[in-house]
Amino acid sequence: MSARRLALLVTLAAMLGGCAGASGLAVRYPEAGANRALLASVTSRRVEIRPVADARLDTTRIGTRPKDGTNIVTERPVADIVGEALAVEVAKNGHTVAVAPSEVVLATDVEEFWLDTVRGYGSTQYVGKVAFSVTVLDGRTGDRLATRRYVGIKRRQVDTASDDVAREVMDAALARSMRDLATDPAFVNAFAGVTTAAAPR
Amino acid sequence: MLWGCASSTPTPPRPAARPFDNVKRIAVVVSGDSRFAVLEHRAQPGKTFDEVLGWAPFGSLLKPFAMLVHEGINWLVESDRSKTTGRHVEGLSPQAAVSIAFAETLAASQQFQEVQMPEREPVGEERRRLDAIVRLSVPTWGLVRVREGDPDLLSGFADVRAELVVRGTGAAVWERREDVTDPERLPLTAFKKDPEFTRHHMLDVLTRAGQRLANELVYARSAGR
Repeated sequence: MSARRLALLVTLAAMLGGCAGASGLAVRYPEAGANRALLASVTSRRVEIRPVADARLDTTRIGTRPKDGTNIVTERPVADIVGEALAVEVAKNGHTVAVAPSEVVLATDVEEFWLDTVRGYGSTQYVGKVAFSVTVLDGRTGDRLATRRYVGIKRRQVDTASDDVAREVMDAALARSMRDLATDPAFVNAFAGVTTAAAPR
Repeated sequence: MLWGCASSTPTPPRPAARPFDNVKRIAVVVSGDSRFAVLEHRAQPGKTFDEVLGWAPFGSLLKPFAMLVHEGINWLVESDRSKTTGRHVEGLSPQAAVSIAFAETLAASQQFQEVQMPEREPVGEERRRLDAIVRLSVPTWGLVRVREGDPDLLSGFADVRAELVVRGTGAAVWERREDVTDPERLPLTAFKKDPEFTRHHMLDVLTRAGQRLANELVYARSAGR
């Protein structure tokens, strides 16, 4: 094999490898889309976000491509995607994401992260669903202040199915769940109710 | 290959909305008609027509006709199902359900001094004391097929729209269209057999739609700040 042919094969292999790495959906919650919301009305807190638990029944995939039955997966672990989204939302609302000791601890379980694909005649409907529960703990006392559950669902019909649309649908479902969290008075009250350094223990 | 890789690039985020956190007194007004529908997005019989036409001479010429027949048959089937299931939700006003949940969620957020729900467009002094008016509509609601299987699973849905218009200038400072789907999924028979359950399910999804819209409004209030 000539050196030139070998170089070509190595380049091709690298390109294929790159594509294979990108074959999982790059679902994420973009920081640019996050706003200061109701959660920003609370005095700034130091918030520890514990590693998110993946409590889904099926953790190997987030759906199936109807065309060939192959699994739809995410580029990064689902728990990391949700944890990162939480960190973006908390930071955007003026709080500091930190390790212990903190004033607020968030313990999160992802319950569902799924994309349904319904084939029509000349169209495809995607339904993305993100469901998770968050327990707000007092960082100083360890007391449970609230447990809240959020479900973001996005439905979209397109003429041509593609992984890009699938990703956008999951992005939107994730964003809806985060916005519901940032505007939830009960979640905000839990943030407000933690014991701060100035408060008597 | 390169194209395949490039297509996975995330689309850039939309520009931040114009903030409207000076809006304190609002009225929520419902507008437009609502249609109850059962949307199944079926592949049949169009898929079978395509297979048959694939073998037939001049089959491609008949494809538009096959498309029309497919749409016609599904329209008839969906109309019939909408009629049957729609009977279970007679008397339920989607606009009222969505607007009540919307107004209650806004009030609970404590981001507005006053949230009114007049029965019609406010006039005179009532209108002058408002900062803005939210116009809300529910063009379509009903059941949608969300999962293929045996049996297929359906969920309640409500497609809702809202815009926040500043009183006096008429400028729209916030607009939103939301496709809201209930998290629960059930076979069509569950909805057809049990009117009471269907009413509750639909009321749940309409409430969810009002809450979702309100959350988006609260979320957008300080956008860009």
